Amino acid sequence: MNDNREEGVVVTRNVWKIFGSRADEAMEAVRRDNLSKAEVLEQFGAVVGVKDVSISVGEGEIFCIMGLSGSGKSTLVRHINRLIEPTGGDILINGANVGQLNAEELRAMRADKIGMVFQNMALLPHRTVRDNVALSLELRNVDAYTRAQVADRVIELVSLQGYGDRLPSELSGGMQQRVGLARAMAADPDILLMDEPFSALDPLIRRVLQDEFLDLSKSMNKTTLFITHDLDEAIRMGNRIAIMKDGEIVQVGTPEDIVTKPADDYVADFVAGISKLKLLYAHTVMEPLEAYEQRKGPIPQAEAPVAEPDDDLDKLIALSVNQDHPVLIKSDGNVVGVVSKDAILHGVQGEA
Amino acid sequence: MTDTTPDQMGGAPAAATDETKPFAEFADKSGGYFAETFLSIQKAKLPATHVNWMAAIAGFPWAAIRANKMLFWIGFLIDLVAAVYLMQVWKFSRAAEQAVIDNKDFLVERFENWTTSSLWAAVIIFILGRVIFGWLADRLYFRQYNTWRVDHSKPSGWDMKRLVWATLIVAMIAPLMLYRASQFPPEERTCIKQARSIAAGEEVAFKDQFDCMIIGEFPTIVWLERRDTVTYPRDDNGDRFVRREAPREGLPPVNLNSYTAQLIDDGIGYLTAFYGFFFDGITTFLRSMLSAITAVFVGTPWIIAMGAIMAISYTMAGARITIFVAASLCYLALFGFWQTAMDTMSLVVAASIICIVFGLPLGIWVGKSKRGQAIITPILDIMQTIPSFVYLLPAVAFFSIGKPPGILATVIFAMPPMVRLTALGIRHVPENTKEAALAFGANPRQLLMKVELPQALPSIMAGVNQVVMMALSMVVVAALIGAGGMGFIVTEALANTRTGAGILAGIGIALLAMMIDRVVQKANTVKH
Repeated sequence: MNDNREEGVVVTRNVWKIFGSRADEAMEAVRRDNLSKAEVLEQFGAVVGVKDVSISVGEGEIFCIMGLSGSGKSTLVRHINRLIEPTGGDILINGANVGQLNAEELRAMRADKIGMVFQNMALLPHRTVRDNVALSLELRNVDAYTRAQVADRVIELVSLQGYGDRLPSELSGGMQQRVGLARAMAADPDILLMDEPFSALDPLIRRVLQDEFLDLSKSMNKTTLFITHDLDEAIRMGNRIAIMKDGEIVQVGTPEDIVTKPADDYVADFVAGISKLKLLYAHTVMEPLEAYEQRKGPIPQAEAPVAEPDDDLDKLIALSVNQDHPVLIKSDGNVVGVVSKDAILHGVQGEA
Repeated sequence: MTDTTPDQMGGAPAAATDETKPFAEFADKSGGYFAETFLSIQKAKLPATHVNWMAAIAGFPWAAIRANKMLFWIGFLIDLVAAVYLMQVWKFSRAAEQAVIDNKDFLVERFENWTTSSLWAAVIIFILGRVIFGWLADRLYFRQYNTWRVDHSKPSGWDMKRLVWATLIVAMIAPLMLYRASQFPPEERTCIKQARSIAAGEEVAFKDQFDCMIIGEFPTIVWLERRDTVTYPRDDNGDRFVRREAPREGLPPVNLNSYTAQLIDDGIGYLTAFYGFFFDGITTFLRSMLSAITAVFVGTPWIIAMGAIMAISYTMAGARITIFVAASLCYLALFGFWQTAMDTMSLVVAASIICIVFGLPLGIWVGKSKRGQAIITPILDIMQTIPSFVYLLPAVAFFSIGKPPGILATVIFAMPPMVRLTALGIRHVPENTKEAALAFGANPRQLLMKVELPQALPSIMAGVNQVVMMALSMVVVAALIGAGGMGFIVTEALANTRTGAGILAGIGIALLAMMIDRVVQKANTVKH
């Protein structure tokens, strides 16, 4: 089993989920005859929720799963802590097969290793914020004193100090979701599953919470699976993004990959409306110095603005404004390329 | 009439024709009339007195031809009822003639009165019914039009062939109905005699046989041999044994009802004779539980009990309700109901405790398991719908009379809301909070204790409140089997027509109920 460790903290191997009373039959038929989703529904009255998904999430990575409602992203993430049993395939956490755990081991794993945040918060309405946050500890029979200590520390972490004795209903939506986040982190799990945590919040609060979460995540180094239906959010949050459609993963890649090299028309449609300012980097849009100088003549290198290959379009634009000269891209003091205004404009349009 | 419509529409004749075209297409015959009527219905301008006189005169055959089922049945029913009354006129006038011959004056007068009233009923129902039919006709026909608009395969237009169906239906129903109205039904005893004489091979007129089969009570189809008479006397050692005696020779067979009733009686007799210790055990348990509770309620001097009740109500429900409680207690005390009321309270408390102890786990099971629901729900339905007097009988049969069977009957009556409301509360716990608890590693017991029960608590408390209320009402009925308390005063007053005493006790019971209800409800709302 040791070889799995190299693959990642959370690995799913050919995970299938078929809903319906004849799911197992349908699964066999799918394996045998390679049926389509519609055929499975017609022949077995069963719905394919997740279709042959294999992903691998590395340690400390924020892995976004993006898709529209009904694409199976929430179903997929519930397989990881086995809230849903897969019809086929394996889920490995730190190399251990989740499907082979018995009830007690599974509970221990859920309590110790995996924290989960829900779209609708799902706080217990009859408990105070502190007791909600300490839920996972309480379920593991940690004593009340330690519970309160840990809870107060985590509450401070999500900037809710002073609200520990309130009931969830007294808090705003954004604050409730902070409680949800605190609850997920109270047990200090290695893995965070975030099921559209910020979708129900208004855009301003959402941004604030996204930033806070990114800060937290940097300092705490948690492996995170982040579900969202919002590509902007996926790009902001994710180290990598998987795009799901009809239970299948259509494309996995870094935000830049997704935006610049959409795998099919479906992804391209999504990406069309996305601002590229923070996603395209100088090394993608630049051309060699010689090619530019051949066309436009030599550049006075002393006057031209200078940028790094890793600077994004936003920075390049800021440098180009009120400038007659193109931007020189220098790496370790050597000129590696040139970005003209035309190249920037093409980049903004997404034609890198 | 189609021609007049565009003119009335003034400047837009083309549009008007377009508007009415589907109406006319739907109605087929007299399309113009219906176009106009439907248009005014759509514009909400149809006069309230609008009646389709053509339909009113033609009656249900019109509806049949137009394929409007609803209207057909309404029209048919009106005419049928009128015809039935007309047949009764015939029946009663013949009976009156017979009575004149038999020289029974009081019968003559009665039958003549009935003849006249039936005649009037027939005439009024027919005329009024047809007017109502005419009034409904276009309005219901318009609804038929609306369904036809959506789905053109629905029947429309004018088709005489539909009369065939109508005739068949009328032929199946009307003759028997009218025949039944023209005859006095035979008595059940007559029919039983008739069945025996047929069994004996005698000739019976076809008409009499027919009457017994069709127009009286449902004919007795199942005849069963009488069961042995079973008794459970004691032998010389004092042990009980079963003694069967065959029924006397020559007794006629019995019907299903008598046979089964006998069977149940025998079963109860057997159980009490041989498993009496079990029922005695329950009785003893109930009696000791009750005496403990009674010791608290009745054994406490009134001044301390009153103070305690008011203090409890004040801490649970606040000052305003305590004033009401104090007033109610004063009523009970001043009218001399104190001891009796406390007696009733101990019965209610005993029954409620049993209901809650058994109802809560049962409710949790019903709420969580589909099978539990499938098993328990019909039982609860039966417990709630059987008249409460009916289970007084087995309670007496198994536990004899007194307070313990009274408590049991009360428990049966009062437990269903506890189970139902607990199950409802458990089922309505939001799925997402349960999922969250599971995701953090809750085991089933933790899920129940920390997530489900706390969130179901308001519903469970509503169940407790219901249990107490229903227990109180049943405790009164249980006085019939000797449970005593306030109910005893009421039943005694009923037996001796002492109206005043009954009303006073009734008010006392009502106040008792309201006290408990207000305090428990208020306590609930304060908490949540």
